[in-house]
Amino acid sequence: MREEECTIVSNTEIRERYFLMKIRSEYISVNCRPGNFVMISVTGENDPLLKRPFGIFRKEEDCFYIYYEVVGKGSQLLAGKREGDSLMVVGPLGNSFPEYAGKNILMVGGGRGIAPLYFAAEEFSSSNNISLIYGARSKDELLFVEELGNFPLKELALYTDDGSVYKKGSVVTDIRKIIGRNDIKITFSCGPDKMFESLHEEIGGLDVENFVSLEAFMGCGFGICYSCVVKGSNGKYKKVCSDGPVFRMEEIEWQI
Amino acid sequence: MADLTADLGFAKLKNPVIPASGTFGYGEEFLEFYDLDLLGAFVMKGVYRDEREGNPPPRIWETPSGLLNSIGLAGPGAAGLVPVIKDVASKTSTPVIVNVCGGSDAEYLEVAKVFDVMDEVSMLELNISCPNVRAGGSCPAQSVVDTRRVVKLVKENTKKPLIVKLSPNVSDVASIARSAEDSGADAISVVNTFLGLALDVKKRRPVFKNFFAGLSGPAIKPLALKIVWEVACAVKIPVIGIGGIMTGKDVLEFILAGAAAVQTGTVNIVEPTGSVRIINETRELMDELGIKDLKEIRGGLEI
Repeated sequence: MREEECTIVSNTEIRERYFLMKIRSEYISVNCRPGNFVMISVTGENDPLLKRPFGIFRKEEDCFYIYYEVVGKGSQLLAGKREGDSLMVVGPLGNSFPEYAGKNILMVGGGRGIAPLYFAAEEFSSSNNISLIYGARSKDELLFVEELGNFPLKELALYTDDGSVYKKGSVVTDIRKIIGRNDIKITFSCGPDKMFESLHEEIGGLDVENFVSLEAFMGCGFGICYSCVVKGSNGKYKKVCSDGPVFRMEEIEWQI
Repeated sequence: MADLTADLGFAKLKNPVIPASGTFGYGEEFLEFYDLDLLGAFVMKGVYRDEREGNPPPRIWETPSGLLNSIGLAGPGAAGLVPVIKDVASKTSTPVIVNVCGGSDAEYLEVAKVFDVMDEVSMLELNISCPNVRAGGSCPAQSVVDTRRVVKLVKENTKKPLIVKLSPNVSDVASIARSAEDSGADAISVVNTFLGLALDVKKRRPVFKNFFAGLSGPAIKPLALKIVWEVACAVKIPVIGIGGIMTGKDVLEFILAGAAAVQTGTVNIVEPTGSVRIINETRELMDELGIKDLKEIRGGLEI
């Protein structure tokens, strides 16, 4: 990991409130793996003071992308950035999804939780049999469907909560059937807390290795401030930023 | 080029910048960012006798130019910290300071003694001012009597230089500082965080389970600078100024107010290479202003 000043190559509003930003950094691009994230200072000033965490969405030779939703002050300020503007970036941070070859893997993404899975699907789909379940609240929030369809996926199952497009339901609606028919032994998931809770309920007991990528409000992003903790199933707190963000599902206490 | 040496009397640091307890992990987390030899010294995250899990989340809350925290001194405990210090000290010649915590006089002493015998530890910093452990944010540094008793006990039973870290959440910080000095403290570090409150209007509840939390960051700098000046006027032992330092100019302000060195806190969290930038800025600003040596301006406020 490094802290460096990076230049924005593009910052595109791909749908209302949803942005894709391309940032130039050879160091991060060369060193990042699916699941890693970066911390970005949205102003370089003292207010807002904290850098914001963003999962890496994909990488190119000397650039990486983040996919973000405008949800608060930090992301709002980031949305106002233009091509050529510079940002202070720390990364790549955190651990990453385990890497396999020749395995049947199911990826489960909820809403903007698709970001690290897009990266994982792009990187791993040529060497593994990847199936993907992707759900969002409505069709406006289900992005990159066409691009995901271009990856060599075994199955792509799409859902919206309101049924505005694709199947009405959630990512767990057909998950047991999908696991069965694709002989899935490994899952990677990322999404909101509620999604993880229902995932845990549906598939936590199956004979499948489940890896979850958590989102958290962070201070530093590299393990020194101890603020982004979640309760582990052993009763001890884990730091999402440096113990994770990728955990085995059974390591986390899914009370909530 | 300007001489950045910071003279604490009992030790000379190569520069006045010391990353503060709780904002620098155990040093090792920064090895990928820069060479720890660049620092004046650094302080370990506060340690109690036993392992602590810390407070339930949320643990931080962002405020305008500030940060409220209620971490609750999570950590491995004294025995767990010893090998961590041995490891990080083997990678740098920069002095390591251990921030000693305790829930009782006996615990303060027990923890202090563990690190007092370690060659890898240069100084002890007695943390009598953490607001995030007891209910209501109380701590020994809020009482002249408690300060005197615990400082005296630890000083009389240890050999290493003892820095006493004070709280800003008091009515008369100068009298507390004097009681620490009279009880044998070798230096004062001030300020710890200011008690603050964050509220959730929707839930009509405090954000933090511990109710109050500690405010840090550039938002507190003017408040901290005032207290550092008051303490520097009140005692003869060196003062280490802390509070919202983000730039080299901030460092020189604290030195001018009477500090012999400074601790950088929140900046390490928000900008991992921040302390090194601050050291470089301090040198550049001294050169620009024609200051050859920090002693030239230490406490040199013209009023």
